[in-house]
Amino acid sequence: MTAPAETPRVIPPAELPQKVSTKKPKGRSDLSSALAFLSPTLIVLSAFVFFPVVFSFYLSFHSWNMFSSTESFVGVGNYSSIVQNPEFWSVLKNTAVYTLGTVPLNMVISLGIAYFLNKKLAGKKLLRTAFFAPVVMSSVAAAVIWRWVYEPSFGLLNYGLSWFGIPAVNWLNNPTSAMFALIVMGVWKTFGFNMVLFSAGLQGIPEHYYEAAQIDGAGKWKQFWNITVPLLSPTTFFVLVMSVIGSFQVFDTVYVLTSGGPLGSTKVLVFYLYEQAFKFFDMGYASAVAYLLFAVVFILTMLQMKYLRGSIHYSS
Amino acid sequence: MTTDRSPLLQRFSVLLLAALIAGGCSGKDGDAGGKVTVAFWHSCVSSTVPALNELIAKFEEEHPGIRIKAQYVPTGDALIQKLITSVQSKTAPDISWIHANFLQSIIDADAIYKMDDFIHSADSLSAADLADIFPPLMEEAKWRGTLYSLPMEATGIGLLYNKELFRNAGLDPERGPRDWAELRAYAKKLTIDKNGDGKIDQFGFFVPAFPASGPLGDWMVWQFYPFLFQAGGNNINGEQTQVLYNSQAGVEALTLWKEIYHENKLSSFGIDYEPAFASKQLAMALDGPWNLPRWKQIPGLDWMVAPMPKGPAKQSTIVGGEYLAIFKQSAHPKEAWTFVKWMVRPDVQALWSMKSGYLPIRHAVRLIKEYNDYLDAHPALKTYVDQMDFAQVPNPIDYDALKISRHLAEAIERATVGNADPRAVLEESAARSNALLKASSGKATR
Repeated sequence: MTAPAETPRVIPPAELPQKVSTKKPKGRSDLSSALAFLSPTLIVLSAFVFFPVVFSFYLSFHSWNMFSSTESFVGVGNYSSIVQNPEFWSVLKNTAVYTLGTVPLNMVISLGIAYFLNKKLAGKKLLRTAFFAPVVMSSVAAAVIWRWVYEPSFGLLNYGLSWFGIPAVNWLNNPTSAMFALIVMGVWKTFGFNMVLFSAGLQGIPEHYYEAAQIDGAGKWKQFWNITVPLLSPTTFFVLVMSVIGSFQVFDTVYVLTSGGPLGSTKVLVFYLYEQAFKFFDMGYASAVAYLLFAVVFILTMLQMKYLRGSIHYSS
Repeated sequence: MTTDRSPLLQRFSVLLLAALIAGGCSGKDGDAGGKVTVAFWHSCVSSTVPALNELIAKFEEEHPGIRIKAQYVPTGDALIQKLITSVQSKTAPDISWIHANFLQSIIDADAIYKMDDFIHSADSLSAADLADIFPPLMEEAKWRGTLYSLPMEATGIGLLYNKELFRNAGLDPERGPRDWAELRAYAKKLTIDKNGDGKIDQFGFFVPAFPASGPLGDWMVWQFYPFLFQAGGNNINGEQTQVLYNSQAGVEALTLWKEIYHENKLSSFGIDYEPAFASKQLAMALDGPWNLPRWKQIPGLDWMVAPMPKGPAKQSTIVGGEYLAIFKQSAHPKEAWTFVKWMVRPDVQALWSMKSGYLPIRHAVRLIKEYNDYLDAHPALKTYVDQMDFAQVPNPIDYDALKISRHLAEAIERATVGNADPRAVLEESAARSNALLKASSGKATR
């Protein structure tokens, strides 16, 4: 019907869209084929993301141990027992300490290295790869390595320190040094990612700004402070927000290095959540902790948006 | 470009699909060749897995109609997580090896059979057989007086020590410390700063002060129990209304740990005692029979296992077991029972103990000449087996056992690592445990 046998093989360009559009209403078929193509992702996402998010919200109002077939409704009981539990507050404090320890240090180091690598430098690519390597490394494997670095009698760190006459420190088994040890590893593990973001941001700053500043007699430091910092602020803001979120979710390195010890000094929110869920099988309580974590991160992000957005400069 | 890529992509997706299908099917596979397949999950210490495979081969030889499909899950914690999900998704194994701690959870889910269902069947286990199993193990195999599982192996702890370091310190290398006072004195004597730089080069005794929240927290509590027993204490009263670890006995035991911890300057020691013992930096440690093969492999290490020291009240140690439970979702409970029953047979127990280093679960094994000869040739294992005569189990805790164990672990960590007052921290933990017991007392009539 569409093409009689004698029609030339080449369809005139004007004819094609017209023909197709008049043939049938397209909306539905488009939607269904779109859905068909999206379905693998949609199914996976629904099963492993959307459903758990909703179900865990539901569970946070229930008491369920995963074994029994029914869960009993407890209202806001889980939430109220969490906020009354002093352990929750100490865990929240530990998480805040970890965040305050890693995020600023991480940003300073990653910006410094990105700035340094932005210059014309021999072996730049090699260095960048080396700095990025920890990011792609499996965090559990990396933590196992660090565990041995921190080992008090055989560890590399104490061995290095002994050259300078510094006495051995029991890094991971001492409540005052364990969090510090975690922070150092956390920074090492993640700064490479931020370094790449900063590198991209630095490359986006037009060269002629620096040239103009140079002609006007501005020194390196002034150029950095008055051109680089303001023009990099969208990147910096993004890095800050993402790093805060990331460090509130720290888990695997804590699990391997210290398991929350000694004396609970490194027990962070997600580790606490994990043990409530998979050690004590208190799924309702754990879900409520998860939603409180969400609330904390959400509020922190909103605050950053509100108070820092004003100081972001866009180059154009 | 596309023609270049597609074969690779195709091959990759075929692989992926195959992996998915294989993964999806592995839970339940059909009964191949007229044989009944029995899935058996366990987390025996990894070094014993080859011994278990040998044992299973022997079972299959004796029972041509049954194939045992053993699946090793590293760590008991991971196993219980896997079991729970499998029960929920109806893919539970036929048999699982399980820690006594986790029995409650599995029973709560109504996932396993009572052993009575099989014991009183035609293919039964005799009363004499049951009476032959060490009573503490049978106690743990029960839940609220009902037998839900049978022990597959027993474990215990002894005092591992380095004979060479004993000799260097002028101590008799043929025996360990006899009592608490000697343990403390030996530990002190064996803690040495060789070059006087203030850094300890050799530690006397490792007090297992692990992070309470870590994977070794329960293990620390388990090692603390013998000391509690030796001082005449126990973990909880028989009615499960009140914990007893905060008794005078508990305070004495924890005080001993705390004193040794500080006298031996263990705050500068890591928590990995095994490499330290292997490299002669540690003279004594609490250890279990599963590590025997490890020490044998280390050349130049002159070691022995001594019985646990005697406490102020008595000589005692802890015994633990790993238990076999049969799942209600099993399509072949009869064959599963055949395996469980076979596992407790004296000659099988003897074989399993000799190959794996686990301890036998019953007296009759000691009547087997071959086994006794083996023990004479392996004195360290013999120490563990001999201790079974005075070994104890802690009283059962039906509800919130893991949380109560955590409370005690926190007290131990606070007294040792945190240098807190033993009585004060035990009281604080006991208050929290007792509150839990009170809350669950309503459930007790269930």
